[in-house]
Amino acid sequence: MSFLIPAGFGLAALAGPLIVLYMLRSRRPRVEVPSIMLWEKAEIPVSSAVPWQKLRWTPLLLLQLAVLAAFVLTLARPFYRERTLLGPHTALVFDTSGSMGMAGRLETAKTQALSLVSDLSEANQVSIIEAGPNPRVLLAFGRDPALVTEAINSLEAGGGVADLSGAVRLARGLATPDRPTSVLLLTDGGSQPLPEEPVEGAEMLRYDDFGDNLAVAAWSLAPSTEGTTRAFLNLVNYGAETRTVRAEMAVNDLPAGSIELEVPAQGSARETTPIDAGPGDRLTVRLLDNADSLPLDDSATLIVGSAPEQLVSVLGEGSPFLEALVDAVPGFTNQGEGTPAIVISDGGPLPTIDRPTWLIAPEATPEGVTASQFAGNLAVTYQRPGEPILDAVDLSGLVVGEAQVVVAPRWLTLVRAGDVPLILLGEINGQRVAYFTFDITKSNLPVQVGFPILGARTLSWLAGATSINASTDAAGTPIGLATPAGSLARVTMPGGEVRELVEGSAQFADTDQPGVYEVSYIDAEGAVTGGPVAVRTFVADESAGASRDIATTGAVTAAEEASVRIREWAPWVIALALALMAIEWWVGHQRPFLPRRKVVTS
Amino acid sequence: MLLPAELRGRLERLSLVTRRRVIAQWAGRHRSRHKGESLDFADYRQYVPGDDFRRIDHNLWARLGVLLVRQFEAEEELPLRVVLDVSKSMGFYRKAEIGKVLAGMIVYLGLAGGDRVQVYAVGGTSLQVGPAGRHLSRWPQLEAWLEQLPTGGGGELAPTLRKLVGEGTTRGALILVSDLLSPDFGSALDGLGIGAGGIILHVLGEEELDPGLAGDLRLADSESGGEVEVSTSEEAMRRYRAALEAFATEAAARARRAGLDYVLVPATDDAPMNVLSALSRTEALV
Repeated sequence: MSFLIPAGFGLAALAGPLIVLYMLRSRRPRVEVPSIMLWEKAEIPVSSAVPWQKLRWTPLLLLQLAVLAAFVLTLARPFYRERTLLGPHTALVFDTSGSMGMAGRLETAKTQALSLVSDLSEANQVSIIEAGPNPRVLLAFGRDPALVTEAINSLEAGGGVADLSGAVRLARGLATPDRPTSVLLLTDGGSQPLPEEPVEGAEMLRYDDFGDNLAVAAWSLAPSTEGTTRAFLNLVNYGAETRTVRAEMAVNDLPAGSIELEVPAQGSARETTPIDAGPGDRLTVRLLDNADSLPLDDSATLIVGSAPEQLVSVLGEGSPFLEALVDAVPGFTNQGEGTPAIVISDGGPLPTIDRPTWLIAPEATPEGVTASQFAGNLAVTYQRPGEPILDAVDLSGLVVGEAQVVVAPRWLTLVRAGDVPLILLGEINGQRVAYFTFDITKSNLPVQVGFPILGARTLSWLAGATSINASTDAAGTPIGLATPAGSLARVTMPGGEVRELVEGSAQFADTDQPGVYEVSYIDAEGAVTGGPVAVRTFVADESAGASRDIATTGAVTAAEEASVRIREWAPWVIALALALMAIEWWVGHQRPFLPRRKVVTS
Repeated sequence: MLLPAELRGRLERLSLVTRRRVIAQWAGRHRSRHKGESLDFADYRQYVPGDDFRRIDHNLWARLGVLLVRQFEAEEELPLRVVLDVSKSMGFYRKAEIGKVLAGMIVYLGLAGGDRVQVYAVGGTSLQVGPAGRHLSRWPQLEAWLEQLPTGGGGELAPTLRKLVGEGTTRGALILVSDLLSPDFGSALDGLGIGAGGIILHVLGEEELDPGLAGDLRLADSESGGEVEVSTSEEAMRRYRAALEAFATEAAARARRAGLDYVLVPATDDAPMNVLSALSRTEALV
């Protein structure tokens, strides 16, 4: 312990007079009585003629000496040196990556930082830097504790990977020649290596609290060959015990079923499930009752996108039914020029099979199919169960006037009438081929309720996967904007917060939070037009919560000298002195160690 | 009002009795040192010419052949001097208040008995002469005078009392109401041993009889201003009680030696009745 004013100990000499006062004979209280005639005879000589008496170490004297000592100590201003993490200018770099959301790491970091800045003085300046996927300065050279506190409290863990290198560069960019800058990294280290280690002029406060975490590692559209939408879910269990969890799915926030998965410890579980959704729909999966250490990765969202329209060429006779069918099915068109993606051959000669082809009673059978004769007046007797193309399509009323009797052992027969196949699926030259053995105009198929569905499914099957994920990227990936001239962009954040961007903004970078970002444009008249809808996903690597130390060289920085802080004991010593005074007052007035004095006067 | 009506009624049925014969100017109810015309036989003496023949005891002359005349007691009024101590020390512990009641009680007794009552107040070295009276009709004046007496003053009591005793030619009874807290209280009492006797009503406060003082104190005398340091230990209190007892004993002894009745009166509300009881026991009251 050192003292700022050692001369204050000189006041300890007051102990001398204090002791002298106790050695002087005490002046007794004067009480007037009618006469002292009788008391003179009762008097017992108790003191000598000298004004001194033997010093008696009473509790009161000891307490008063203790009070004096406490006050002398206070005046001497004892202190100790404490190395503070705050220098003249300290850049606090907060890691806000997804892993910092685990087990309250970021909250701990914020609490620690708030504690550090609680005694911010004029000698200290603080900058707050958010080290998310896109590092940014929240506060530069802050002196006001309220502003610093507000900036720290505004930090939230996102779903992306922290760009610590960029954040450190940003922090160094704030340094000025006249003010040494120290960098304090409040991070769990993250998984991305720093390009330049050790980080000079920095210190790291590490946060590595862990907890069981069950994360949605993947939520995407699965390739579908049946022309339906299928979602792929991958759960990863980072915990030490096998977990059974129910994942609830929703389409545009409406429940769309749930699945239960058992996820082994340190393992994963996958599931692909059909889901009734189309382009533009928002698919959400959320783990139910999953109380784990990282809630941010317990849900995921995707938006079903659309593939570009595919050109369908109708060869042969064609029919109004087929033309109308192609026009009606989203994603397909028979208008336009270019190489068709799908060929519909309605009768006529067999075309070259070099792309997905829908054959309708061709004059010649393709390879692998042999036609022996024709059969007439056929009614459907078999419809392959569980076939996605025929899902919800009832062909029991289909009657065919004439159909080829074909033998196609390697083809999949979906519908037949007795032994006569009517609809088959196969593959020629690596291309999908749907084979209708009858002229649809010589049947009642076009008037069947299921015809449009069957036709759409057939086209979708031929086209392969028709649905793709919409703009989905890792959290923190900026969203490109195409703001029309004179318009403003407005972004609706995942939590519902709306951000108005300045005119001319080319991108929106504050996408750390996983979820859906909806962009709209507002022109000068206030008209609103829709913009891109983007999904930012939680980066799966962050779910692991990996932690590591970052090598720093903070101890040799120029800020070190300035970061030694003197802390005085004064508050404690004063409190002690006041407490002793209170006790002394109580002892002096209540006299618990002395007989009570009763003074009776006239 | 010093005396309540009930007490006054009771006092009217009582009489003061003197132990010595009185010498007075006026006939009264008390035996005189002069021979008088009462029915009480007193003595014989040789006949001298001029004596009333009716007082010659013929039986003794027949038996002894000596002319002796019978003498009878004379009954005279009792000159009663009631002295109230109003020194500063009497201002403590209700002593002055109770002392006035006791003095008034004696005054009322004297007036009710047809005695000549003269009241005095002594305050140390000062002597105040109050009004006098022979009949209860004077009671209001004497009562008012007693009531208005302030306490104050101090000093030696003996010279003042000696001056009082030597005043006048009539020598009656003297009633002193005092705390006797004067260093010369002994000589003061000694000086009262003339006349027709009297009563010392020694009034002391309860705090004096049983002090409640505690701790280390510097006690200051209210009259002299003198101080004494006292530590109220058990030993000191024991010594005080012994001194008090010696004080009362000596006062009583000196009073008796002077032919006076002595009554120690605690200054409480019961003091009047206690005094009446004590005087009855000593036959000073009948």
